[in-house]
Amino acid sequence: MHSSTTQTDSPPASTTQTEVVIETRNLTKVYRDFWGRQKVRALKALDLEIRRGEIFGLLGPNGSGKTTTIKLLLGLLFPTSGQALVFGREATDVTKNERIGYLPEESYLYRFLNAEETLDFYGRLFNMPSAIRRQRAADLIEMVGLTKTKRRQLKEYSKGMTRRIALAQALINDPELVVLDEPTTGLDPIGTREMKDLILRLRDEGKTILMCSHLLADVQDVCDRIGILYQGELKELGRVDSLLKVRDVTEIRTTTLSEAAKEEIQQVVRRHGGEVQFMGNPTTTLEELFLHIIRESEAHPGRRVRGGADSNGH
Amino acid sequence: MVIESDIPQFAEWVGLAARNWLIALGCLAAIGVLFGFLVATLRHGPGSALRITVGVLRNALADIGGISPRRVLALARLAVKEAIRRRVVVAFAVFILVLLFAGWFLDPGSSDPARLYLGFVLTTTSYLVLLLVLFLSALSLPADITSRTLHTVVTKPVRSSEIVLGRMLGFTAMGTGLLVVMGLTSYVFVVRGLSHTHTLGDDDLAAVSQTAAEVGGKVTQTGQTSRVHSHRHKVTIEPSGYHEVDSANGHSHELQIDTSRGAPVYHLGPPQGALLARVPVYGKLRFRDREGADTEKGINVGDEWFYRSYIQGGSPASAIWTFTGITPERFPDGLPVEMSIGVFRTFKGNIEKGVFGSLSLRNPKTGLTVETEVFESREFETKEVYLPRQIKSFSSAQVIPRRLVTPSGEQTIPSPDQINPALAEKKQFDLYEDLVAEGEVEVWLRCLEPAQYFGAGQPDLYLRARDASFALNFAKGYLGIWLQMVLIVGFGVMFSTFLSGPVAMVATLGALVGGMFSGFLTDLAWGKVLGGGPIEALIRLVTQQNQITEMDPGLRTEAAQMLDRVLQYFLWAISAILPPFGEFNYADYVAYGFDISGDLMLVRLFSAAAYLLPVFLAGYFFLKTREVAR
Repeated sequence: MHSSTTQTDSPPASTTQTEVVIETRNLTKVYRDFWGRQKVRALKALDLEIRRGEIFGLLGPNGSGKTTTIKLLLGLLFPTSGQALVFGREATDVTKNERIGYLPEESYLYRFLNAEETLDFYGRLFNMPSAIRRQRAADLIEMVGLTKTKRRQLKEYSKGMTRRIALAQALINDPELVVLDEPTTGLDPIGTREMKDLILRLRDEGKTILMCSHLLADVQDVCDRIGILYQGELKELGRVDSLLKVRDVTEIRTTTLSEAAKEEIQQVVRRHGGEVQFMGNPTTTLEELFLHIIRESEAHPGRRVRGGADSNGH
Repeated sequence: MVIESDIPQFAEWVGLAARNWLIALGCLAAIGVLFGFLVATLRHGPGSALRITVGVLRNALADIGGISPRRVLALARLAVKEAIRRRVVVAFAVFILVLLFAGWFLDPGSSDPARLYLGFVLTTTSYLVLLLVLFLSALSLPADITSRTLHTVVTKPVRSSEIVLGRMLGFTAMGTGLLVVMGLTSYVFVVRGLSHTHTLGDDDLAAVSQTAAEVGGKVTQTGQTSRVHSHRHKVTIEPSGYHEVDSANGHSHELQIDTSRGAPVYHLGPPQGALLARVPVYGKLRFRDREGADTEKGINVGDEWFYRSYIQGGSPASAIWTFTGITPERFPDGLPVEMSIGVFRTFKGNIEKGVFGSLSLRNPKTGLTVETEVFESREFETKEVYLPRQIKSFSSAQVIPRRLVTPSGEQTIPSPDQINPALAEKKQFDLYEDLVAEGEVEVWLRCLEPAQYFGAGQPDLYLRARDASFALNFAKGYLGIWLQMVLIVGFGVMFSTFLSGPVAMVATLGALVGGMFSGFLTDLAWGKVLGGGPIEALIRLVTQQNQITEMDPGLRTEAAQMLDRVLQYFLWAISAILPPFGEFNYADYVAYGFDISGDLMLVRLFSAAAYLLPVFLAGYFFLKTREVAR
């Protein structure tokens, strides 16, 4: 582990026993110009282990080395020094790609193909029988909700639709490791939620997921473990729940209480030497509110939906 | 057609060519590995460099041995789809448009319309298709890299070798489809453009001579057909019904005379002999000098051209072609000879008249030589001479032994005691009985006018054995364009693996132009070009010195010539690496009506493959060692 890294928590015992899917040892990437002069040190001596069945999130501001790490792991870039191993093989070995699905940051697909042709093309690059390829392509098109538009060329697609077909191509080989670069960019809140649900479902199917994002809420919602990169260095690594645990605050949640009950509780807290920092109705997230309104509108078309949190007793 | 290089025989060519190819490939591979090792040493130090180099070579074996046809086909299909969806069809539309306009401007009444039409369609097709594949192949991969679509492909289990091969195959398939459609359209265009007929009526015919030719009340009639496509044909109809339509503008017509309704009605058919594919049988050429001794070469008349050698007129000097496989089954009636001879005059004489020469047949065993034909020749005019099987009229017959002068002494064939002068005393000779020995016969060309010269190269005189199918020859012409196209696709894809689109295109174009002039580059490299090497020539150009004067001695000249010597090796290497694109063009063969021989096709097919394999390997290495995401 790099000296600057503070390991807050180690993975639980259950995951330490499982197979290591991704391993980097002292992985460093320096970008040089044509004359070999150093331009940027994009990644500095990264040591990382991701195990089977995990959702691992790489966090960091723009230019922190998230995408560089992913590209090194996929063999799109060559390391300046150190090693990147995927399924125990060098990242530049193409045979590892049989078991990997990759959703790039933007949808780098052939815009002159339609959805069906896209999946057929990418499917043919894998060793799979044609019947399975066709079946899987049809299933994926249905899963991402593009059945009606599968014969239209991708150049006519909206950003969200392109994102969906890009996701479908990443899953065409039923991969064991799914690499998602900014999976929720360009998606509306429903799409974002669906993507997050899908990520959790893939994990439940036993797949390993490596995602990078700068949308912290998304990472918090789905990731088991995260690593935080800043200027090419790993600054934090650990389980999300323990990293986010605020150790000097105790939170109690109850159903709505009378004013008298609240006063009584405050007295109890004071007696024990504590201090009540907040007591009242919590606010929900905008995402929750938005999704509630959409769900209600679908259930009761034509009716105006009242404020989500108030109406359902949050 | 003036062919200015020997037509290679595949069986003779392949052994030497394969050896040279293996040597060149080995050298290039060694240079490539060394270069890779040096670069890796600079970046990672010698220890790691060795490991990396060995790793790259081991991976290369796996990547090339493990090529999956399914993935290559998927990538090739993608390339075809890309080309189609990028509106490649527009190229075909342009072609049709060009043909429509050409229909107005190509003159079917010119002296050789077939050559004009064929030359036009072949040139247009090759320019359009070659330009199109140049654009497609050089721009496609860089576009994929900049738009990052390649990221989604290389993160699948796809090998770099498959990406390069897939693209080469895809663009080749697309170009092939386009060529087939253009070829069929061109064929129809040529056949329709040349198609015409003439009319002939009773009024057009006149009796030649009533007194001399009258046979049973009938006379020999002669006349001219109607004028179509700016020409007429002379028609002769004999009383026996035998008729002849003279050739004009390189073709003739079949005449049918219908007498069923009393007065004869004349019908002329479509043009015949306009679209030809002559199959020449070439002999082996040697020379005989002024003293009558055998030599390899004739005289160099100081012409700029080294290929053709000359014989002096009015002397025993001769150009001698030895033909083999001459049998009565193959040539039952005699030998149809066609020739186009170079004429070099040391004095002008009557410039309106040609220079007289003769053709003789000689038995290589007995030495019997019969001069059968005296003719008048103009520079490179194609002459057709028929040497009949029964030779009744001849200008001379004698027994001439072949004299070989070697360092060990002089030898004659046949030897002096076996010479039989009585052989020449016959009044009539039979080709196969008297002149052909074991299927071999010699044809001697001599120039009869003193102080004038005839020049000849091996393909300048041949026997026109038969005519092959024109349609097939036309297809072979397109195969030549196809080979050029495949080479351009190969070079375009190879350059696009490490250069940006426009630069890859210019590089491919550079290879094409360099390849076209590879002959000149070779000459320049071996110092055969007047005016010295590139630097010396530049100095001469700037200081306005002529090419022949000696450069002023001094340091500057020596430095320039030294640099030139280095550059000459570089030029030689370049000229040896670049494919001679021009040689793959068979348009002249088709346009001038010569069959493209199987040997020539095989030689070109193998040379193209020999260039494509290293080009593919280079493309693979460039892509493999490239960081796609940079």
